[in-house]
Amino acid sequence: MSELIEVRGLEKSFGEQHVLRGIDLTATAGTATAVLGPSGSGKTTLLRSLNVLETPDAGSVRISDAQLDFGAPPAGKAAYRRAVKALRARSGMVFQSHNLFPHRTVLQNLIEGPVQVQRRDREEAVADARTLLAQVGLAGREDAYPAQLSGGQQQRVGIARALALRPEVLLLDEPTSALDPELVGEVLEVVRDLAEQGWTLVIVTHEVRFARDVADQVLFLDGGRVVERGGAEVLTDPREERTRRFLSRVLEAG
Amino acid sequence: MPSFRLLLLALVVCSGLVGLAPGVGPAAAAEGDQPRVVRVGTEGVYPPFSYRDPESNELTGFDVDVVRAVAEEAGWELRFVEAPFDSLFPALDSGRLDVVANQVTITPEREARYLFSTPYTYSRGVVVTAADDDEITSLEDLRGRTTAQTASSNWAKVAREAGARIQYVQDFGPGVELLVQGRVDAIVNDNIAVLDYLATSGNDEVKIAGPAGEEVLEQALAFTRADAALREEADAAIAALTEDGTLGQISEDYFGADVTVEGGTTDVDVRASDSRTRWEVLQDTAWPMFVGLLRGTLPLTVASFAIGLALGLGAALARLSAIRLLDWTARFYISVIRGTPLLVQLFIVFYGLPQIGVDLDPYPAAILALSLNVGGYAAEIMRAAILSVPRGQYEAATVIGMDYGQSMRRVVLPQAARTAVPPLSNSLLSLIKDTSLASLVLVPELFREAQVTAAATFEYLPLYALAALYFWIVCYLVSLAQGPLERRLSRYVA
Ligand SMILES: Nc1ncnc2c1ncn2[C@@H]1O[C@H](COP(=O)(O)OP(=O)(O)O)[C@@H](O)[C@H]1O
Ligand SMILES: [Mg+2]
Repeated sequence: MSELIEVRGLEKSFGEQHVLRGIDLTATAGTATAVLGPSGSGKTTLLRSLNVLETPDAGSVRISDAQLDFGAPPAGKAAYRRAVKALRARSGMVFQSHNLFPHRTVLQNLIEGPVQVQRRDREEAVADARTLLAQVGLAGREDAYPAQLSGGQQQRVGIARALALRPEVLLLDEPTSALDPELVGEVLEVVRDLAEQGWTLVIVTHEVRFARDVADQVLFLDGGRVVERGGAEVLTDPREERTRRFLSRVLEAG
Repeated sequence: MPSFRLLLLALVVCSGLVGLAPGVGPAAAAEGDQPRVVRVGTEGVYPPFSYRDPESNELTGFDVDVVRAVAEEAGWELRFVEAPFDSLFPALDSGRLDVVANQVTITPEREARYLFSTPYTYSRGVVVTAADDDEITSLEDLRGRTTAQTASSNWAKVAREAGARIQYVQDFGPGVELLVQGRVDAIVNDNIAVLDYLATSGNDEVKIAGPAGEEVLEQALAFTRADAALREEADAAIAALTEDGTLGQISEDYFGADVTVEGGTTDVDVRASDSRTRWEVLQDTAWPMFVGLLRGTLPLTVASFAIGLALGLGAALARLSAIRLLDWTARFYISVIRGTPLLVQLFIVFYGLPQIGVDLDPYPAAILALSLNVGGYAAEIMRAAILSVPRGQYEAATVIGMDYGQSMRRVVLPQAARTAVPPLSNSLLSLIKDTSLASLVLVPELFREAQVTAAATFEYLPLYALAALYFWIVCYLVSLAQGPLERRLSRYVA
C-alpha cells in the first residue's frame, strides 16, 4: 500500500468502440508519470477515469484512501455519489483548453473551489492563492480576467487553480498542446518545478524531451492497452516497435 | 442530483398554483348589524347610464345613481366593479359580482339564466345611420345590411332578428367610428344612449334614422339565480323608491323625463354628459392614466416578469434534465404557452377557472396568466443560453467538487445570463405592452383608463395616442437600461 495511485483492470467502451482494454497503473507518492501514445489511444479517457469525468465499465481506481471499484460499485446512489466525491477530492485537473471560468478574475478562479466547496476561510484561501500565483509566475495578475491573459498565462492559472484545492495528485491532459509554440516553454517550466517540489503528477503529453527529463515512470498506450511501461529509458530506448515508430514520428514533428 | 431536479419540478408546478388560493368568494350574507357588501358590475363607459364624471373622475350615471339609491334603501354596502359589457355576465356567473347594473334588458334567454328586479327603465331602440344615408329608416331596412353591436347586448339580438349581419364591437363609440368610415351600415341601440352620444360628441356625421321597432324594452338589475334573497331586497327597495318619487327624480335629473315607469314618456331630453374640449379631456385624463401606470401596468410588469423568469428557469432546467417526465412536462407547458394567444390564456384563467372552483381576483389572475406566458418564452431563451455554455465549464466545476446546484448557480447561469439578456429584454418590452390586456380582466391599468374616458368623451385618437406615448416612454426607459446591463455582464470578455 505504499503506492499513492493504484488503477486495476480499467475497461471503457463508447458504444461499440472499446477505448480502454484493461489498464493497470500504479504510482508512488512524489513521482511524475508521463502517459504517451498516438491520438485516440485512450490517454484522455484514462485520465478522466481517475476523477470519474468518465465512468469506466469495469476495474477499480484508488487514490490515497479513496477507492472505487467500477465493476462492483457501492450499493445505493448516495453511497456511490459519496465515493465519487471522495475520489475526486484527491486529485486536481488541468485541461488541455484550461476551462478557466471566464466571468471570474484570476484570484476568484483560484479561491472558487477552496471557498465554495471546501468551505475554507476566505482570507486564508486568498493568501494561499497569492502564493500559488507567485509560484506560477503570475503575481500581480490577481484581478485580470482570463480573457486578458495570454494562452501560456491562462494555462498557468489553470495549474494554480487545480493546486489551490491542495489535491494529492495533479492530473494534466496535454497542458501545452493548445498553445502557440513560443508559449509552451513557460508552462512546462512550471510543471517541471512541481515535479521537483515533490508533487505527484500524471501527465498526458506529446513533449517527449520534457517527459524524458521529468518523468519517473512512462506509460505508452496504444489501442486502449499499455504497450510499454518503464522508467524514462522507454523514451530513449524503447523495446516495442510501436513505441519506436511513435517516438520517431513525434520527434521528427517536434 | 435528481432530487434537486425534482425540487425544480415542484417549483414549476407550485408557482403555477401560487395564485390559485381561493379568491374572494361571493360576499357573505350580512351578519348581525354589518351591512351586506354587494358587488355591482357596471361598464363605466356607457354614458349617461354608467360613466366617469369628467370633473371628479368618479363613477356616475343614471344606473349608478339608481343602484346607489336602492342600496341605501336596502341597507347594502356597495362595491363597484367596472368591466366591459361582455365581461359582466361571465363575472356574475363566476361569483365575482352580485348584481349587474348596466341597462340590462330583460329577455327570455336571460330570464332563464338570471333573476331580474322590477324594471327601472322603459326604453325604445333606435336605428343609427350615417347622416347622409336615407335608405335605412327602420328595423325592416336592416335585412342584409351590416350593423355594429356589442356581442352580448340585447340590441345585437334585435338587429340579428331583423336580418342584419353583425360586426361585433366592444362598445358604442367604436361602432360609431365604423359607421362613419362606412364599414357598417347601421347600429341598433338604446334611444337615450344615442341621444347622449349625439349631445356629447357633437358628431353630425351620424343620425337617428328611425325607431328599432315599436317594442318597449325593460331594463332591470340582474342577479344570479342563486340569490333570490338579494333580488327580493332590491324589489322592495325599488317599490319604495318609486313610491316616494326618488327614482322619478333621478330620471328627471338625467333625462328631463321619467323613464322609470311603464307607459311613461320616451320623449327624453339628454344633456351632454361631457362638455369639455379635447384638450381639457387630455389634461384631465393624463393623471388617472399615470396612476393606472403606477398602480396597474408597472406592478403587473414587475411581478409577472419576476415570477415568469423563475418559471422559465425551472422549465429550462427541466427541459435539460435527464428525467423524461420533467422534460416532457416542460415541453408541454412551453408548447401550450407558445401555441395559444395570451388573450385566450388570460380569459381561461379569469373566466374559465372559476367554473372549476378556482376563483382569482383580477390582479392575481392577470399576474398568473402573464407570468405563465413570460415563463413559456423565457424557458426557450434560457435553455438556448445554458446550452451555449461550453461543456468544459461543467467539467471544470465538477472537478473542483461542485454539485449540480453550485455549478449552475456559480458557473453556468452567470455565463448564460450574458447570452440571455438581449432576448429577455425583448420579452420584458413585450410584457410591458401586454399588460394592457389586463384591462379585459378588470385590472384598472393605464389603457383601461384611456378606454374609460374615450368611451365617455369619444376622443379616441388623442386618448389612445396618449396611452401609446406612456407605453413608449416606459419601454424606452427600460431599453436604456439594457445597454449598461449588457456591458456589465460582458465586462470579462476581452
Ligand atoms: N465521450 C465520448 N463519446 C464517444 N467516443 C469517445 C468519447 N470520448 C472519447 N471517445 C473516443 O475514444 C477514443 C479514445 O479517445 P481519447 O481518450 O480522447 O484518446 P486520446 O486522448 O489518446 O487521443 C477516441 O477514438 C475517441 O473518439
Ligand atoms: Mg486526448
